[in-house]
Amino acid sequence: MKKALLVLSVMLLLVPPLFSNGAKETSTTKPVTLDVMFYSPELSEQYDDMVSAYFKETGVKLEITVLQTDYRSVLTSRINTGDVPDVFMSSAYADNSTYKDYVYDLTNESFISQIEPSALQGVTVNGRVLGYPFLVQSHSFIYNKKVFKDAGITVLPKTLKEFEDVAKKLQAKGIQPFATGFKEFWVLPQTAWQALAPSIGNYGGYEKFVASLNDGSLKFKDIKEMSQVFDLLDLIKAYGGPKPNESDFNDQTSSLATGKVGIIHQGNWAEDTIRKTNPEVEIGFLVGPAGQNAAAAGIMFDSNQTIRIAKDGKNLSAALDWLKWLTTSEYGKNWIPTKIKQMSPIKGAGAPDSQIAVETVGQLGAGVPGYPWFYQMWPTGTEQQLGSILQGYCAGQTNRAQTLDALDAAYSKIAKALQ
Amino acid sequence: MTSLSKKKLNKAGVFIGFTLPAFLAILLSVELPFLMSILYSFTKWNGLDKVPVFIGFANYIEALTDDPAMLKALWFTITLTFFTVIITNVLALLLAVILDSDIAGKNFLRAAFYVPNIISLIIIGYIWRFIYGNAFDSFFAATGLPVFMLSWLGDTHLVLFSVVIVSVWHSLGFYLVVYIAGLQTVPKDLIEASMIDGANPFARFFKITLPIIMPSVTVAVFHSLSNGLKAFDVIFSLTSGGPGSATTTIALDIYRTAFVINRFGYGTAKSVILFLLILVLTFFQVRMFKQMEVEV
Repeated sequence: MKKALLVLSVMLLLVPPLFSNGAKETSTTKPVTLDVMFYSPELSEQYDDMVSAYFKETGVKLEITVLQTDYRSVLTSRINTGDVPDVFMSSAYADNSTYKDYVYDLTNESFISQIEPSALQGVTVNGRVLGYPFLVQSHSFIYNKKVFKDAGITVLPKTLKEFEDVAKKLQAKGIQPFATGFKEFWVLPQTAWQALAPSIGNYGGYEKFVASLNDGSLKFKDIKEMSQVFDLLDLIKAYGGPKPNESDFNDQTSSLATGKVGIIHQGNWAEDTIRKTNPEVEIGFLVGPAGQNAAAAGIMFDSNQTIRIAKDGKNLSAALDWLKWLTTSEYGKNWIPTKIKQMSPIKGAGAPDSQIAVETVGQLGAGVPGYPWFYQMWPTGTEQQLGSILQGYCAGQTNRAQTLDALDAAYSKIAKALQ
Repeated sequence: MTSLSKKKLNKAGVFIGFTLPAFLAILLSVELPFLMSILYSFTKWNGLDKVPVFIGFANYIEALTDDPAMLKALWFTITLTFFTVIITNVLALLLAVILDSDIAGKNFLRAAFYVPNIISLIIIGYIWRFIYGNAFDSFFAATGLPVFMLSWLGDTHLVLFSVVIVSVWHSLGFYLVVYIAGLQTVPKDLIEASMIDGANPFARFFKITLPIIMPSVTVAVFHSLSNGLKAFDVIFSLTSGGPGSATTTIALDIYRTAFVINRFGYGTAKSVILFLLILVLTFFQVRMFKQMEVEV
């Protein structure tokens, strides 16, 4: 704990000095400055662009602190010390209850009607809208089109068997089929749970599924479709190069961009990084296999990154004005599609100029199933803990039965603590 | 008032004046948070709710009876500490003896060994991640030696040694300085007398030098023991506790309990257990080593 506190206090030093109270007061003469905490540092330039556009139009300044790995810890400690940011980001679903004491209820704000109802799912609790969906994102397998063409692969794989055939063909050409990303605690669960997504219907739908896991009436070891997860992980590991457990986000994006590997499991947010390595690269989206059922193979599609407004903030009305501007103004509407180049949850917003986003929209339009990020409905902390257990499976620490037991033990421990 | 008692009073005033600021700072920044964390360890609190719920010893009972992940982390921490304490101290003592003799370039070597110690462990973790990854790949391409193709951070058995190598590399310089300082207290006349008596270098080292520098050994082992048990930053940046839970130390487990799962009460309870563990282990270590110290 001492060490953790030390690390925390060092991180706190990195946060800009707390603003004086005078600057926060909303008066007609003094310019308002909104205190904002965001993550996704890869979007820093776009954040800055939006801040200067808003300042030009309204004279209101946004002071954004951008963090990534320790975002949650810093936010928690700032909230603890009473220094709640006016605007902050979090995940959807489980985080609705995490920050329940601090967030403003947006249900009656006029601009909420401008948001796609499907994007509001993750932020709605008992009919109340507790957050503002920021981006719509998708994750699945991304492939390098040139590599596939050179290997003579014309039919895109949909089932586990077809993925294996493709992997064999790539390997025969001397190309490493997958870069695993197993070292990142978030890549591995995203890969794994996608293979389970089509089967959730067998357990009474997402809410029932999560509720049964939470109260212990459903266990991972009773979910027979978990074998699809293990089969997929085994396949990726077997064709994931000589050091499958050391591949991280940078390894994935750079080796896909350079054509060293054919396939990675990532989301549309990786495109920018991939393109920075190789601006000419042609990439596409593959569906995630769920066993041998081609029709059920889909992509994971959801709005998970959520903007929250502090309900007790001094600048509440200024923060709401900003959100309204973000939803209804010309700049605001185009910010996500044209500057961030991702999909916007706002009704009638333009399509982004990004290959993965275009493929996502195209595939969903063509009837490929889009599944919500159901693992975000699990209690806070499960993503990392279960991810680490799956990582242990991939590293050969545990076999399937032991892994299932470990998943159940970790899950029930976290769920029990919430009661 | 007599001048003597006035002098005494003055002395006390000076003493208090100089120590009070430091005392207050430590009280405020170390002792108070420590006492508060003991208080929080009896509560159920997610770090965000405005009121923590008092639940008595439930956190402690859960940690000791129903937390296999913590016991596993504890076992790994002890293994890691065992290796780092022994390797660091033996190596540092050996190097200190070499660098205390009259070899060429000893000042440069002393500085070279000390440099890693002034770099933050977080940075060192990232540097070694690069060395074990891309650098080793390039070494393999250049030399073809299979040792560079091993998965140093991805193999659950090998990764322990990868961590030990980095920890030892980082902390060696500090212990080197402690031992060199100790070696310089060894009286030259004792060494000369033993040489006249015909003692060989080994006998000289084990019978004279080692007993005399025992206080340095006590300090160095105490330091490496408590640092080993608290290991966090190097693990955090080098392996993130992985693959799986292979390198999760107890400090990292505590951090995750508090900041990832949001169980602050439970996390602080675990940290109090860690504190007690370090207290007991170092207490016995220091007592044992003190008994081995000799008067010259």
